[in-house]
Amino acid sequence: MRKYLTVFAIDWQNQFIYRLNFILWRLRNVLRVLMTYFLWTSIFSSQTSVFGYTREQMVAYLLLALFVNSLVASAPSNDNVGGEVSNGTLNNFLVKPIGYLRYWFTRDLSSKLLNIIFAIGEIALLYLLFRPSLYVSPSIMSILLLISAVIIYFLLGKLAISIVFWAPEQTWGLMFIVLVLMEMLTGLIFPLDLLPRWAFSALQFTPFPYLIYFPLISAIGRPVAFRFLLQSLFWVAILYYLVKKVWAKGLKTYSASGI
Amino acid sequence: MKIFKVTWRYFINSLQQNISGPTVFLMFFVSKFIRYTLFISFLYYLSSGVKLIGGYTWEQMLFFYLVFILVDTVVQMFFREVYRFRPLVISGGFDMVLAKPFPPLVRCLLGGPDYIDLGVLVILLAVVSYFTSVYIRPSFPQLLLFFLMLGNTLLVATAFHIMVLAIGILTLSVDHLIMVYRDLTALVRIPVGLFTEPVRSLITFVIPVGLMFTFPAQTLLGLLSWQIIAVSLTFGIAYLFLSLKFWSYALKQYSSASS
Repeated sequence: MRKYLTVFAIDWQNQFIYRLNFILWRLRNVLRVLMTYFLWTSIFSSQTSVFGYTREQMVAYLLLALFVNSLVASAPSNDNVGGEVSNGTLNNFLVKPIGYLRYWFTRDLSSKLLNIIFAIGEIALLYLLFRPSLYVSPSIMSILLLISAVIIYFLLGKLAISIVFWAPEQTWGLMFIVLVLMEMLTGLIFPLDLLPRWAFSALQFTPFPYLIYFPLISAIGRPVAFRFLLQSLFWVAILYYLVKKVWAKGLKTYSASGI
Repeated sequence: MKIFKVTWRYFINSLQQNISGPTVFLMFFVSKFIRYTLFISFLYYLSSGVKLIGGYTWEQMLFFYLVFILVDTVVQMFFREVYRFRPLVISGGFDMVLAKPFPPLVRCLLGGPDYIDLGVLVILLAVVSYFTSVYIRPSFPQLLLFFLMLGNTLLVATAFHIMVLAIGILTLSVDHLIMVYRDLTALVRIPVGLFTEPVRSLITFVIPVGLMFTFPAQTLLGLLSWQIIAVSLTFGIAYLFLSLKFWSYALKQYSSASS
């Protein structure tokens, strides 16, 4: 455990090297929220309620989506793991007494902490600009859903990236598909219960709504059935099993060809 | 003439690289197709609950989005090399570019077009043509102005990418800058008219993504006055001129520190 704490501490300091880079990354997150904000503001300019949501509820949802997204989707591992496997850097880890995926999960956590700190500042700023009626009521359920979302995102990314063992040039392609699906199906730009019932029900059979939508609505005090937490944990279990199996197979074929 | 010959060679080399990995080609094609389909479905679904979005009909919103994708795809396809510029500077590879008897700006802008989007572009051109002939039915002068504004868009996009390259030389810590540009452009997936001031002016003339992506569609829909068209064209030329000056300035500051 101590070695991972050290990794956390070192990574925390590393993040302050390219400060401008980080600020630009945060700016990107805010820009995404702005597009959605103005789209919804235009929609609400001609009516007070859309699909059961008022303007205030929608703006509050979008601001909190920025926070949840900062927590869940900030994962430098997704940008680095594929490259490290394909160029042979993975060797350095295989000969050390440290779990490679645990090492990257620790670095992701460090990145998440910094992102959350910035996200709070950004939300405060956007709150002052838009003045939505924000209501947050975190419960054990919402915290568990958030933790589960963080793990699902990490595992989903690693599962997509694991293709690097067999087809190094296709790593980014599969991850890109995951990111595209995340863009629309996680609840980042609209609450998923706006969708027709059949579409919303179908989505529950995928890991995507458990990444942002369910943790978020639980945090704003809307009732979320216990079965959704179980379904989220079910995805954690499935993905953990798959990642473990696929990485074990991948490591057997790994030949450090990039070195 | 030599510049055209060498640039053509770059284009052919990139094409050969792209077609050597058909799976990656297919993956990106599928991802982009999913992305666009999901966003169009979202807009369509919105139209079932909302008659007008900020004064625009569903067909107009869809047309804005189609023109956005068209411009975005063309720009990404030709200027893909800009995304690889930072590693070139950091590794010292840029010295080699400077040492060759070929304009470094052309090399860094057009040296590596990405044909992965070519499939999407062909489909898109067919869809935009069909949509324009069935729903918009523009007059011949409107059509001419549309192409003029598209040309202006490419001018501004070129200027934008030159600026990114120049900043890349001045400050090495920026690798998110081109992605910030991408997120800024993603803002105008919806028409710039939906934004309120001062954001609207900011994204129209200061960071001219509104001018790039919304104005051509507005011209075809007959929603843009000739005065605004004239200002846009002047702005496009001025912006390109300024970016070239900025590039020259950045080159003078280049210290080749990493080589």
